[in-house]
Amino acid sequence: MFDATDFQPLLARRYTLEVRQQMAWYWQALVIALALIVGLLISAAILVAAGVPAGELLNEFVILTLFDNQSLRAVLFQAAPLIMVGLAGCLAFRARFWNLGLEGQMIWGAIGATAISLFEIGPPALRLPLMMACALVCGLLWALAPALLKLHLKVNEIISTLMLNYIALNFLLHLVYGSWKDPRDSFPYSPQYRVFERLPELLDGLSLAVVIAMLVALFVLWFTGVSRAGLYLRFVDNSPGVARAVGVPVTRVILGTVLLSGALAGLAGFMVTAGQEGRLTHSFYAGYGFSGILIAFLARNQPIAATVVALLVATLFVAGRSLQVFYQIPFSMVQLIQAILVICVASSEFFIRHRIRRIQGGQG
Amino acid sequence: MSHTNAIQLDAVSKSFDGFKALSEASFTACWGEVHALLGENGAGKSSLMNIAAGLYAPETGSLLIDDNLVRLKGPLDAANQGIGMVHQHFKLVKPFSVAENILLGLRTDQALGYRKRLQQTAEDIKAMAAKLGFSIDPFARVDQLSVAEQQRVEILKVLLAGARILILDEPTAVLTDAEAENLLTTVKHFAQQEGAAVILVTHKMNDVMRYADQVTVMRSGRTVASLKPQSVSVGELVKLTVGDAPTPPQIPASRAAGEVRLKVSELHSSDPSNPVLRGVNLSLRAGEIYGIAGVGGNGQSELANALMGLPEPVSGSMTLVGEGELSGLSAARRRELGIACIPADRYSAALAAPLSISDNFAMGEIHSGRYGPFWYLRRGRIDADTAAAVNEFDVQGVRSLQQKAALLSGGNAQKLVIAREFNRQPQLVIVHSPSRGLDVRATLAVHERLRRARDADAAVLLISEDLDEVMALADRIGVMSAGRIIGEFAQPADRQAIGQAMVNHV
Repeated sequence: MFDATDFQPLLARRYTLEVRQQMAWYWQALVIALALIVGLLISAAILVAAGVPAGELLNEFVILTLFDNQSLRAVLFQAAPLIMVGLAGCLAFRARFWNLGLEGQMIWGAIGATAISLFEIGPPALRLPLMMACALVCGLLWALAPALLKLHLKVNEIISTLMLNYIALNFLLHLVYGSWKDPRDSFPYSPQYRVFERLPELLDGLSLAVVIAMLVALFVLWFTGVSRAGLYLRFVDNSPGVARAVGVPVTRVILGTVLLSGALAGLAGFMVTAGQEGRLTHSFYAGYGFSGILIAFLARNQPIAATVVALLVATLFVAGRSLQVFYQIPFSMVQLIQAILVICVASSEFFIRHRIRRIQGGQG
Repeated sequence: MSHTNAIQLDAVSKSFDGFKALSEASFTACWGEVHALLGENGAGKSSLMNIAAGLYAPETGSLLIDDNLVRLKGPLDAANQGIGMVHQHFKLVKPFSVAENILLGLRTDQALGYRKRLQQTAEDIKAMAAKLGFSIDPFARVDQLSVAEQQRVEILKVLLAGARILILDEPTAVLTDAEAENLLTTVKHFAQQEGAAVILVTHKMNDVMRYADQVTVMRSGRTVASLKPQSVSVGELVKLTVGDAPTPPQIPASRAAGEVRLKVSELHSSDPSNPVLRGVNLSLRAGEIYGIAGVGGNGQSELANALMGLPEPVSGSMTLVGEGELSGLSAARRRELGIACIPADRYSAALAAPLSISDNFAMGEIHSGRYGPFWYLRRGRIDADTAAAVNEFDVQGVRSLQQKAALLSGGNAQKLVIAREFNRQPQLVIVHSPSRGLDVRATLAVHERLRRARDADAAVLLISEDLDEVMALADRIGVMSAGRIIGEFAQPADRQAIGQAMVNHV
């Protein structure tokens, strides 16, 4: 005898979609990893279509960037400001504040640091710490206005932070094309920082920026995980209404966290100018704001994960630059790949939240 | 007028999350009558009518329309059967016009252009409104209409969609007396003229006595009687709704109540357009439970919010004797003063569902510094305290202290709230509907905790729409109606008298 269901064509079988209560973290990690792999495969296909020989992809991306000592240092060096903006994103998003103004805060951080250098404030030995402090404060202040507007007047921070980016950017252009332009040539950048104003390399060629980034990552980990503020922030993040009712000082928590986010973005600006460029340029910030948001999103606002994702994005940046040199692939390809990865991971949320189950018996 | 059955629900049962909202409830309404469905909050009226309107599927029982057995697959199916429900909270698209809102719910000939169909609908609206005896501008934007007018739009919407059985869920709750009278006259007229069936879900005695042809009374998920309102007195109806089951005698405090601890005077809502609270005055002593009884929606939630420090604009004074004025104090400050709050809605005001049990518990004493300074959380101590409290307050279903609070059942979530709030001896306890959605065992456990707090000399203010609960717990009972305390009763109190006070006062 045959079982009737054996003859059922595949499509006639019924499937249902159920909402899952919870998924173990390792399954979640697996789903996200699969999504990343799918995203990388799509990216690879696009790169091949753009003219990169398929055989060279692995070589360019993995071997030459991660297994070559010099490129690995370049990746770490590149990762430092990305870790900063990523952590800045994590913090703001945990406070449910959509800080899209990471670039503006970065620009102000860099402007602040450059001002210290330009006006030779402080003795040489203190110059670098002063620049760093000034970058922190400038980034923080640029985040202050949208935070206060949101908390007191309910002004949408998505709009205000985004628009403040344009103001920051145009002010930057005003400086580098105008009074702060390097008098020695006619390019739109400030005079070069002096040697003691640049982030030094420590032993083995590792930049101080990397060490600072690691320390800040530890600080954020402490802030969100160990301090009382972290507990408050979890309430604000998960149930803002309950937070107020059970005695979380919601306004202060949001304000503090957003200011910290702005300060970290400012620090990222300082790292790019004092680390990579050695001066204030007209486009040093390009791509960082978007990457910060993306890193925070992919890391689900977890500081350790953000550090790891920032390293991956840094790899992409470094590999993208070499693709630009060797295969004339435009650098915007890096942003395209980032976007594909984000879409893949965002889509994978569906599988984390739902389960597809076959209905037994076929008839339902 | 032929009095044949329009809609009949037979022995319908439904439970939510283990809580039995309906047990074998039966209900029959005839063509041409206004049929009132009467009961207290939580008696199961809305659940029963949601089943009639196809929103819920019953677990057992059957539904007959025009004496034919039907199985509704959803609201659309119900609409096809001629059933239309007007919900208490209107479902209208605010920036759309009246005609657009109504057109949304109609299946008109798509071959006609949109303009044509809108025009057609507008004319239908005018005709139907005239038939019902009012006028309305079909092209007015809904958000420019008054509440009463929006309600008319809702009624027109279901009638134009072809409803012959009209269910109105608490229609007069949002209306002024004159508007309510107007509406009820209209629907009564409609039932008589058109031979339609109108079901009026309500807890207002007056509406029933004046407008209903028939009334079915519900109490705790059962339909207890169906009769002609003219054949009974208000007193008998009250008795049917609140029940006359002998409540277990209230257990009085072991010693007399002490000094006045909380004084509320002339508490008004600040919003003049919606003055829910209209001068609440009460004083609460140490070592007593003061129960506030009343039909839902008479300002109980607003009073509870104001006292708990939840967002609620009020004027007037709330004084904690010896400490001063409460209004304007943060929830944290209130807790430091020894005020414990148990809000009605656990997951919007007491527990963060996605967070762990220990995180939720920690908020109870976080400000005192017991769990470490600002820069460091003493996880070990939090977990130890949580474990001890979970044990002492008998919170069940805790597999790990790091598990999400959302995974606790209603009763255990409530016990967790109580464990947190009572972990330090509170001076003043504000409780709102503490046993809502809980089973009997959990309810008893919660009541026991409140009595113990009282016997430990706390002042307990119990706000509940469940009269049984108030009767069982309170040493003194205040009846709240229309935003005021309109009467106080000392135990042993007469249940019928309280029931009368709850419904008779306008």
